[in-house]
Formats: sequence, structure tokens, C-alpha cells
Amino acid sequence: MKLPATSSSKAPVKPTADNLVPIRLDIETEGQRYKDAFTWNPSDPDSEVVVFAKRTVRDLKLPPQFITQIAQSIQTQLTEFRSYEGQDMYTAEKIVPIKLDLRVNHTLIKDHFLWDLNNYESDPEEFARTFCNDMGIEDPEVGPAVAFAIREQLYEIAIQSVASAREIKISKKGRRGAEHAISSKGGGNALDLMKLFRYNSSVVRKRKEWYVYEPIVDILSNEEVDALEAREDRNTR
Amino acid sequence: MEMPQYDPNTKPEFELYTIPSHSSWFRWDDIHETERTALKEFFDGSSISRTPKIYKEYRDFMINKYREEPSRRLTFTQVRKSLVGDVSLLHKVFRFLDEWGLINFGAVSRGDDSDNRDSSLGDTELKNQVKIEEGAPNGVRVVALPNSLKPISVPNSGADGSGNGKVAVAGETGVKLPPLASYSDVFGDLVKLKGFKCGSCGEQCNSGCYEYSKQGSFVICEKCFKNGNYGEDKSKDDFRFSDLGGNSLTHGATWTEAETLLLLESVMRHGDNWELVAQNVPTKSKLDCISKLIELPFGEFMMGSAHEMNSCPTGSLNSLKEGQSASSENQNDVKMEDQVHDQMNESKQNGDAATEEPPAKRKRIAPLSDGGSTLIKQVGGLDSVLDNLEHYQTFLLMDCSDASFEVAHISTMVGPHVTAAAAEAAVAALCNESSCPREIFDGDEDYLANGLSSPTMVSDPERALQVDASKMEENQSETQDASSEKNDVPLNLRIRTATATALGAAAANAKLLADQEDREIEHLVAIIIETQMKKLHSKINYFDDLELIMEKEYNEMMQLKECLVEERIDVLERALKTGVSKWRS
Repeated sequence: MKLPATSSSKAPVKPTADNLVPIRLDIETEGQRYKDAFTWNPSDPDSEVVVFAKRTVRDLKLPPQFITQIAQSIQTQLTEFRSYEGQDMYTAEKIVPIKLDLRVNHTLIKDHFLWDLNNYESDPEEFARTFCNDMGIEDPEVGPAVAFAIREQLYEIAIQSVASAREIKISKKGRRGAEHAISSKGGGNALDLMKLFRYNSSVVRKRKEWYVYEPIVDILSNEEVDALEAREDRNTR
Repeated sequence: MEMPQYDPNTKPEFELYTIPSHSSWFRWDDIHETERTALKEFFDGSSISRTPKIYKEYRDFMINKYREEPSRRLTFTQVRKSLVGDVSLLHKVFRFLDEWGLINFGAVSRGDDSDNRDSSLGDTELKNQVKIEEGAPNGVRVVALPNSLKPISVPNSGADGSGNGKVAVAGETGVKLPPLASYSDVFGDLVKLKGFKCGSCGEQCNSGCYEYSKQGSFVICEKCFKNGNYGEDKSKDDFRFSDLGGNSLTHGATWTEAETLLLLESVMRHGDNWELVAQNVPTKSKLDCISKLIELPFGEFMMGSAHEMNSCPTGSLNSLKEGQSASSENQNDVKMEDQVHDQMNESKQNGDAATEEPPAKRKRIAPLSDGGSTLIKQVGGLDSVLDNLEHYQTFLLMDCSDASFEVAHISTMVGPHVTAAAAEAAVAALCNESSCPREIFDGDEDYLANGLSSPTMVSDPERALQVDASKMEENQSETQDASSEKNDVPLNLRIRTATATALGAAAANAKLLADQEDREIEHLVAIIIETQMKKLHSKINYFDDLELIMEKEYNEMMQLKECLVEERIDVLERALKTGVSKWRS
């Protein structure tokens, strides 16, 4: 997710305040399943991946086959991320809708809001922190999960636009093509800024729409958690 | 500042909202410079979604929303659902207004300042609790008296356990050793956090708690468990008993000497495998072992050195031993610990660990000396190393006899070389307490032999050694007198021979080094003279060359002159031939 330089540093660019890669792991070996989701700093040396895998296996007392699998998975996701780096994207603003729909332990979160993909100062972690503070969530695992979900969605949107830009460039082959791509790059994801921020319209939403963008936080009971987990397992298998 | 409807019959009522005086620039109708600079994005025309008009809308909406209920604290989440736009940007506006007091000025604070809202700890539960500090204040650590066999207990430091360094009180002599520069108690905070709070009745569970197995963070105390207050939707079977014992506050911090010893030993053997280490030290849990090890001043070296040892046991040790100086100091440390712990094997390991630590430090100093620093610097480096060693020594000497305590006392007053000698004397003095004096003595000879055979060691300045030698002799007699009362006659002789050999070895070493220094100086002076000569030679050559050039040029000039003269004569001849009468030359 590399975009033109930020004002402050000479370091390569980031769509958010820290350039972190969302990594999702779901490995199953010998009847044991390891699911995890976290963010990784791609500027860490690659040797750290193996060290991390070893440490994780040791801390969680997993069988040693997991080490190579974890390391491989992380590596593939990292290389995939890096293949998108350096793509030239435009600096105009791009507001995308982000939907949160996740369950962390006993907390169920549903939320919907707008995010500017090209705002280099945006920080998913800060957003997650404010969110937890405002909603009074005490489970410390919720914050990182929210931040991760945001990053994942931003990442996917960025990938999509890069991929579509590539396709259009290949098909049109020419500067005109690129320009056309830029203008149509909004695609289905970005909201049309023109429509939203018209001069004679207000940025304050109508009241009846407030509930759409309001976060919903539910604390579940055990049985509900079990039921949801069972359903998720069935879905993923 | 709301304008009520104007009713001529009633007095106009103005609702007053307080904002801090530093925000008095604020106007409803206008956007002030402060806002423009703080929120540039709206005013630089970079996007159609960021215009002053939009900013004003955001701002007005947020302020009005807050003023609907001034005593309630407005949260960002409440406003963002009503506004269209990038949430990060909205958050920025929100924070701006909050900092300037335009919103939430009169609101009930959440228990922590808005400045701390984004603090990394973010655990409001902790912050709202009253912090009670127990035990001695943080700057002072209580250490067991040297003669008693009581374990050293860590006081329950308060929540701000940031260590100011450890002040070890060295027993009856009352000498205060300065704290180790690198020591800091980073685990003081965790002491406080470990106390469990019951989930249902809110009290501290001291003796034992029942942990909810499905969600690890929920614990209830024994009383609640018995009473059936399990908390919502939780059944009895889901709870797992975890006994904190009486250690919940001290968290197993009472480490006796024997336990420390066991710990060190098992770390040497097992390195990083904390499970095995915890097994070996029966009364302490894994966490306690780790925290205790780190608290020990050399603990981290142990972990590092344990790694080294496990990976390449003999090779590295040998090379380390050869690399290190054979000056009796190191060996004496080894032996001193031999005395302290009455078991040879583990003491050897400890000794190795200790010797690995000083070599590690000496290796760092060696590059210094390679860089050509002065002798004084080297001495300074040695001093710091040996200072640390001293502290380590004193730490372990806690429950030793008086003789060795005198050593500690002396070590704080006099230089390190003296410590070495005094330590040796103490070693000999303690010979009668130990069961294997012979071995040590034989070992002594070996180490000294090594010292003689390898002259190229970390250099000591000759002068300092001489001064120290004289001092050593004085103190030798002191300690000998102190300990001689207890010794038998043959031991006295042994002391004498041992110290004599040591002194002799040191003196021989010093002489060899001095000779080497002399030769080096001569060599260097010769080099200097040579270079000067060369310089002069080249200068002379240069001047010679210049002379040559000058001569040539002069010759050329003369030739030119002749040429010119000839030409002139020519011209005159021609002029005369043609008979030019009136001719102006």
C-alpha cells in the first residue's frame, strides 16, 4: 500500500500513520487449529518471521510442524503485500465505506463509517482505542481486532484499485488510458465526492440515517458464543 | 450564547456556556486563525470534501450537540454517526475542539485527564484505584544482614515501582555501596498488578481464587464461589481453582540463598527452558524464576552465557580463559565463590559464569585498547569492571564469615588490585572451613602458572602496580593478623607462600611488560627520527629541482635577449643601407 510521500518523513509512504500489513493465519495440522490475526511491520527483516514463528509455537505449545507453516504463510502474505508496493496512485482523496462486523471473545461489534484511503495521518489503532474508550469496552483484545479489521479492508480495497488500474493500463496502453483509469477508479468502492460534498448539501446526515452509521456493541452470553463459533466453523470447513 | 425568541414582556434570558478564557477568540459566525492553522486541510483547497463551509458545519454541529447536555461528556462516537466524512478527519476536529475547551469543558471527567486518553496504558481500572504503597520506599532496598541467614525479601513496592537503583546496605560496617548503574526494577509495576480482584464482589482474592476457564480474565474469590455468586451465566463447573497461597502479594519473592543457587544452576543447565528451570526450583513458579533472574545484577549475562554454554560448551570457555588476563583477580573471584557455596560443582559453574561476565566486559575494553587509548583509560576500564565485580562479590558474600566481610569493606575503600590480594588472603583464611583446601591450593598453582607463561595480557601500568604492591603488603599483614588467630601454624605458612608466589608472579609479569614497553618506545622513537629525515631529504630534493628550473629559465632569457639584440642590429643596418636620413629611432 505505497502511496506518494508524506510530508514529514523520507521513509516510504503509508496510507495510514504506520505501514503495517494485516496478516491472517489459519493453519490446521494433526487435528490442531491455529487461528490468528495481527499486523506485521514489513520493514522488519525477514529473519524475524522465523523467530516469531518459533516463539509463537513455543509459547502456545504447538507441535513443531507449525513453525514452517506459520513462517510460510506469513512470508507469502508479506511478498504479496510487497508486490503491490510502489504502485503509483493518485493523491486525491478517496473515501471508502468501512463496515465492521466482528466478534472478539464475548463482544460483538457492528459498525459502519467512512474512511479516507489517502489520508496519511489516519491511524486505525487510534480509532480503535477511541472506540473502545467511548463504548466502555474492557476486553483488551477488542481494540487490536478492530484495528486489524480496518486495515484488512483498506488493504483489500487498495489491492483492488491497483489491480484494476493495472488491467486498464494493459488494455488501453497509453496515457489516455491511465487518465481514464484514474477518473473511473472510483469504481464501486469510493463514494462519489461530488455527490456527497455538493455546495448546497449539508454534511450533517439526516436523523433517520443516524442509526445506519451508529456502532452496535453487544456482549454475548456463553451459549451464544458457542453457537456462533460452531456456525463459523461449519462455514469455514 | 443562544438567542432566545424576543418577547417584549419577558426579560431576555441568555444561557451561558462557559468556555476557557484561552478560547475567547471563538465566534459562531467566523473562522479564526487558530482554527485555520490547526486544521489546515480544510483551508488549502486540496479537495472538495474539505472546505471552510464544511468545517464550520462540523464544528457547529459538534458544539451544539455537546450543549444539548453540557454536563454529559460528549464522545466522538456519538458525533461521527451524524456526520459525513472521513472519520480520522472528524476525529481531528473533535480533538481540536476538545483541547480548546469548546466542547466538554464542563463535563464530568472520565477519571483520567483528556491528555491521558491516548496513553498507552489505557487501563482506566488501574488508574481509578487508590494506590497504596506498602513497604519501604522505592529508593531504599532492605537487604539481609551479612551474618544472618534470613532470605532477602523484596519489599512490596507501590504502583510506581520505577527503580532508582538499589542501595545495598553492607552489614555492620554500614558502608553504603553505590547502586549498580544498570540496575532498575522494571518489575515493580507487575507486583501491584498481580493481585486478583474478584469479579463478583470486588474484593481482593488473597488466599485463592477461582478462575473462569472460558474467559481467562474473570476470577472470583473463594467466598463468592462457595456462596454461589458465580456471575452471570456461568456455572460451577466452568471454574478452575488456582491457589495463590500466601504469596499473592509477595508473589514468591522471598528467595533464600539455596533457592538462588538452585536457580542459577538450573539456568546454566537449561538456559532458556523455563519449564525445566521452574521444575528444578521447587518452590518457585516460572514467572518468579524469570523475574528473580533478571533482578540479579548479572542475571541477563547468565541467560546469555547459558546460551553460549549450551551451544558450544568447551570451546568458547577455553578461548575465553586464554583471552582473559591471568591476573590473580579473576581466579580469586572463582575461588571465593568456591568458599561461599560448599559444593564444588555448582560453584565451578557459577565461577565460570562470573568469569564469562568479566571477559565479556573485558572484550569490550580490549577494542578500546586496540584503538590506541592511553594506559590510564585502560585502567579506568578495568576499574569499572572490577567495581561491578565487587558488587557482585558483596552480594554473594552476605552470609559469609567476618574475614570475608573485611574484604568487602576493604574493597570499597581501596583499589581493585588490593581487593585481589586481600581476597586471596581471605581465601586462605577460609581454608579451614572448607572441606577441600588442597584442591583449591593446587588449582591455585595451576592458574598462577598460566599467568606466568602468557605474558601478553591486559596491561597494568607498572607504576600503579608498584604502589599497589606496597599497599598490598600493608593490608596483607592486617588481614593476616585478623585471621591468624583462627588459623593453625601450617596454614600461616601456606598463606605466606601463596601470597609470596602471587606477588612474585605479579612482579615478574610487571617487569616483562615494562621491558616490552621500553622496547616499543625505542622503536617508535627510531621511526620518528627516520620520518623526519625523510622529510628533510625530500625538501632538499625539491629545492634542487627548483634551482635547476631557475637556471634553465635564466639561460633561455639570455638567449632571447641576444636574439632581440641581433634583430635590432639587423633593422638598423637595413635602415642605413636604404639611406634613410631622417630617421627617428
